[in-house]
Amino acid sequence: MIAEHWFWWLLCVACVAWYSTITVYVAVRGCFEIRKMLARLKEDQPADDTALR
Amino acid sequence: MTHFNWWIDGSIIGLYLVATMVAGIMVRKYVGKVEHFLVAGREVDVYLGIASLAATEFGVVTCMYTAENGYRYGFAGATPGILMALAMCFVGVTGFCIDPLRQAGVMTIPELFEKRFGPRVRWAAGVVIVLGGLLNMGVFLRITGEFLVLVGGFDLSQMERNLLLMMTVLLLLGTIYTVVGGMLSVLVTDFLQFIVMSAGLLAVTALILMKIGWAPLAATVARQQGEGGFNPFLCQGMGWQYVLFNAIECMAGAITWQTTISRLLASKDARTGRRIYTRTSFFFACRFVLPGIWGIAALAVLTPGAFAGLPANFQEQNTSLYAMPLFLSQFVPVGLMGLLLAAMLAADMSTTSSYMITWASVIYNDVLAPLRKTPWSERRGLFWNRVIVSLIGGFLLFYGLWYPLKGDVYAYLLVTGTIYMASISTMLVACCYWKRANNWGATAAIVAGAVIPIACLVFEQLHAMTSQQVQLWRCYSGIGAFVATAVAMVVFSLLKPHADPPARADSEQVDGN
Repeated sequence: MIAEHWFWWLLCVACVAWYSTITVYVAVRGCFEIRKMLARLKEDQPADDTALR
Repeated sequence: MTHFNWWIDGSIIGLYLVATMVAGIMVRKYVGKVEHFLVAGREVDVYLGIASLAATEFGVVTCMYTAENGYRYGFAGATPGILMALAMCFVGVTGFCIDPLRQAGVMTIPELFEKRFGPRVRWAAGVVIVLGGLLNMGVFLRITGEFLVLVGGFDLSQMERNLLLMMTVLLLLGTIYTVVGGMLSVLVTDFLQFIVMSAGLLAVTALILMKIGWAPLAATVARQQGEGGFNPFLCQGMGWQYVLFNAIECMAGAITWQTTISRLLASKDARTGRRIYTRTSFFFACRFVLPGIWGIAALAVLTPGAFAGLPANFQEQNTSLYAMPLFLSQFVPVGLMGLLLAAMLAADMSTTSSYMITWASVIYNDVLAPLRKTPWSERRGLFWNRVIVSLIGGFLLFYGLWYPLKGDVYAYLLVTGTIYMASISTMLVACCYWKRANNWGATAAIVAGAVIPIACLVFEQLHAMTSQQVQLWRCYSGIGAFVATAVAMVVFSLLKPHADPPARADSEQVDGN
């Protein structure tokens, strides 16, 4: 069955392998990026920002 | 009989909900300007962009229709995902349309159109985007509610009451943090939701592959659908029309779908935007393949009697949509059920919140703001954005409750998406790469692109058609809309006399960009 439908078997395996890897990688790198983004936004507040929220 | 356990699974879901709400509400203090609210200050880097784009483009509705595709068409049902992955990869590698769009420094696509086609076209494009986007999103809430009611083991004899309750709770959860923190809250919660959603998706897929196995799944597809289950061109209900329409729609979606584009526009620069596209591209294949496996597993395991417990009005509709949740409710064990439901809640909340902020940005930026002679202050602007997000939430609830869905969900989403994708993608390509394009062509494109899909939706509500006829009808009308829009853009642009001073001024202004 795998040999007959190798394309779909390969695609299923690739999806599981790629998605597992990218999830871990994005989880780690994304954390750092959020911290950097919030730090930059903190510096970019308007003078009367308290009135906005 | 569902395996949902209120203590164990309920605790996992509760933990996820508390973490998301706290994170979403805490970042509100960083929102000081409208630009922070709508595009997160354009500070998004690659991996946050990937998480956000992936979480946004995978909701429960996605899971439902991709699993339905697997159930109905076998592996061939994943064809739209492969086409979308190719389209995203192509656009990311070449920068086709997205480079000039990001470099223009706009917050929405219609804002770019104003530079080339004038303020009226910007306003009309905004209206069309909102119309198509909201109709598209209108069915999300109901389908998510149906999934949760079926998998969570709620009383099916009280389906409508439980649905209303579920839809209201889901909507409130997503709306609260979107209203207070805008795109910034959406991004941070998207990140958490991406992790939870991915964990649930992978765990359930792994369980299916271990317990049932790939070979029995393939054998089921071969038995039920024959060669068509592996080849979209031979598949009954798909065929060349379906593949062609999807190929066009995927390409148009990659360059104009506002929730995707909003990640590009929120990115640090054009290069970061392209990297987000390229590195997320394969996810678009995964989002069809993995739930497709769930749908095929439902086909392999469920007996026709499994649908007998559904309420009568559900059995009159297309029951293939409910195969996957019915299967999961019996297949997934306690503990993993909690992770699955948390993953699906994460998928839904990230999609709902992103879609709400995205359509709100177009309503504010392109429909309301151009009507004012003096711009709103930052404070007023934030207030109106929050009001718009809340109103969209109200619309979703009512539309979800009252719109009777016919045919398969994915086909409905394609048609409603076409309402704006046909015209906006044609206009965007022309705006970026064709010097003769002008406001006559743009206006004609908007009219042609919107009239055909809307007429199609009205027609199918008025005429009795089988599910298969609806499917074919939607493919032809979708292809027709794209062709008509391109022809309208070219013909009317060429018809406009050259010596039109305002148009030339507009054109020069954009050429300068």
